[in-house]
Amino acid sequence: MSSTIIETDPDAALLPERIRRFPFPFASDTYRYSANVEPATKTAPTEAGAWGAHLVDIDEHYLDELAERAKVLTRDPSRVNVLPHMRTAVWDALTTLLSSMAEDYPDTMSFHREGNICRWRNGLQNLEVEFTVGDDSSLPEGPLRFLGTQIQDDIILLDIREDTLWLDAGLVTFAADWSFAFDVGMNFLEIHHPVPRVKEERITSRAEQFLLRLQPGEQFRRTNWTMTIGRRMDTSTETYPEWGPDRTTIADDPAMPEKLHLRVEVQHLIRLPHSGALLFLVRTHLLPLTDIARVPAWREKMGHVLAELPDDMAEYKGIIRYRKAASDWLLAR
Amino acid sequence: MTAIALQPRVHPAVEGGLQLEVTNVSRETESIVSITMAAPEGGRLPSYVPGSHLVVQWGNGVNAYSLTGSGNAPSEYSISVLRVGEGAGGSLAMHRLCVGDRVYVARPRSAFAPASTATHHLLVAAGIGITPVLSHARAAVERDSTATMIYVHRPDAGAHVAEARELLGPGLIALVECTDRGSFQNVLAEALITQPVGTHLYVCGPVVFMDAVLEEARGHGWSSARLHSEAFGAAELDAGEPFTVHLARSGVRLEVPAGVSLLETLETAGQSIPNMCRKGICGECVLPVLRGAPQHRDLYLSEQEKAANNTMMSCVSRSNDPELELDL
Amino acid sequence: MPPAAGNGLEPGFRGVICVSFGSSDDTALPDTNGQPRYDLHFESATAESLSELKSVLSGSRVGVRLILAGPPTDIRAAAAAAADCGLLGEEVTLLPQETGPRFVYCPHCLTTTVDEAAGTEVKCQGCATTLTIADHFSRRRGAYLGYSAHAEEAA
Repeated sequence: MSSTIIETDPDAALLPERIRRFPFPFASDTYRYSANVEPATKTAPTEAGAWGAHLVDIDEHYLDELAERAKVLTRDPSRVNVLPHMRTAVWDALTTLLSSMAEDYPDTMSFHREGNICRWRNGLQNLEVEFTVGDDSSLPEGPLRFLGTQIQDDIILLDIREDTLWLDAGLVTFAADWSFAFDVGMNFLEIHHPVPRVKEERITSRAEQFLLRLQPGEQFRRTNWTMTIGRRMDTSTETYPEWGPDRTTIADDPAMPEKLHLRVEVQHLIRLPHSGALLFLVRTHLLPLTDIARVPAWREKMGHVLAELPDDMAEYKGIIRYRKAASDWLLAR
Repeated sequence: MTAIALQPRVHPAVEGGLQLEVTNVSRETESIVSITMAAPEGGRLPSYVPGSHLVVQWGNGVNAYSLTGSGNAPSEYSISVLRVGEGAGGSLAMHRLCVGDRVYVARPRSAFAPASTATHHLLVAAGIGITPVLSHARAAVERDSTATMIYVHRPDAGAHVAEARELLGPGLIALVECTDRGSFQNVLAEALITQPVGTHLYVCGPVVFMDAVLEEARGHGWSSARLHSEAFGAAELDAGEPFTVHLARSGVRLEVPAGVSLLETLETAGQSIPNMCRKGICGECVLPVLRGAPQHRDLYLSEQEKAANNTMMSCVSRSNDPELELDL
Repeated sequence: MPPAAGNGLEPGFRGVICVSFGSSDDTALPDTNGQPRYDLHFESATAESLSELKSVLSGSRVGVRLILAGPPTDIRAAAAAAADCGLLGEEVTLLPQETGPRFVYCPHCLTTTVDEAAGTEVKCQGCATTLTIADHFSRRRGAYLGYSAHAEEAA
């Protein structure tokens, strides 16, 4: 592995914010699975700008994505679940994240805690609430649903016991081709069972050992990526019959460059201080190929990555039917 | 007079931690004192997992002590220290602390956590082993869970007995104090065969005591995943032995002290080494080894790669030989 | 013959509870090495039989072991109920019959279908979608994941 010095393009200042803040994931012309973890909240420069200064990132899509999440939850309540032993972990996640947001966005947000009584103000939503840690009825739909109305990230909580991690609570409305409702209660190996190569390359067990050794308060992050047709946040297995058919038509669609998006997940891994549970946040960013192409270095790297990606990985990511069309378009610019 | 005057530099084990002020010192027994610390400017301290320990610096050394609170949004940290005559001196230094003294501590570390799925907690402590067990009992009370405590101590020498008794109620449903070996044997034997399915056992005390309790529990059919014992520092890498690196290309020799990583040593010497996680998992900081046997402590290299001894992860791995030669 | 379900378990039992489902008889259950043993037999894992199993388990004490024999769907449902009572994986032994139906979960309509055949697809009993059966199994549900088999085929 080598690290690349990334220089921001001098023309980048003219680009819109959605491009300058996009967490472009490719450091070179090839991509393989790796345990690409690094400490959280370190600013990561890209050729177009930078990302990653804050644990909870709030951008121009904040209110839209929260409204979209509310709709998904109304349609399908199976997207949220808390096994009974995870209540302490949910409260721990809520207080940890609200206090982190208040520190990062002092102009719009504040968080105060006296004993178990907390007061939270979110100016972006004209919201002021008071609640009591440990009392689920002190927030209208309970602490996890409430947290899901404050941050754009999907929220997953893993319990640590019997030397492994258990996916025992979460609120996941923007899944990339997996079913949270089905996976609830699984351990780390069971969750990752369908991922090709990951087993052979020992990534799962290494990642698990890493996560088990994290100490309370430690925060790390990594990125993952796939592609999505349309600006569609909910690409869960649940709604696959709705979005699956697009995969067959996109390659020949003249509007492909506008419709086809690079989907990047910024994933945070946080060992919570009081419960000791592992909080896994997944923040999804979508950017169409037309925007990728406005940054010459991105256009080239992504074009080469798509062309070179082994078939099994392209198949698993669900991009095998159109990755050549996307690559050709990017590299022909 | 103050401890701070005796602390020439921050020990690596507490680097990036907190500086706290002693706000209360109280004598628990003839040989045990409780020390309470808070942020000098007041305010909340980081929450911690029940059963956590706090690494505290005294002079040039560090020691780990169990925190006795529940860990939920604390404004102070409390530890209890048994004076040990022949120790490395840590307990004596702690016993000399006075209100107003400043100490360096690391963030609390968890290595003795309650199982979230337990339907009941059986807490067993001997002597100073009461400290993490008291933390568990407090957490059980706060979390609407239930616990039973068995506490072995010398007659009239039980630390925290009054606090444990105060916890009795719907959370801590029973507290059995034993002041002689025979009564403890009977109490333990009875407890081990009468716990509801879903109970987890937590034991803290002298090693021989813990081993005996765990062995008896196993003998009564307790599976190992139900058994928890306090083992300080099990989750963290130890500081390691000092060693020398010889950089073949530049001809430079560097000393890597205990508690400082090879990566940090190289960075301090002006070398730029690509790195990401600094935890031995991402593989970025791999270095070519020309001579010497690295002590591999990473999760990245395969067993074969480790056995070949021609690469190492500079963020966590050290050396089995006094000197390593690197292709740098 | 096993005793009639629900009676006879002494309070504080710490031996081996052997549960068989369907046609499997207790000769399929292993010898318990002289450990006290309590046998239960159910036709299938219904809400009623599982609640009876749970009440037996909650009357027992740490040290107890559970052996489950019978069709995979039944013993997995029983294992999930045992986990809810606080039994750990290493305390439960599963002796599944080699053949038998399996459950397939449909994430599109949240229904679980009983699949009697051993093919790669099944028709969802909830929404009639033809599901591909994935090699992805949930112990908690005792079911395999299904997903729309033909979503990526041209209409």
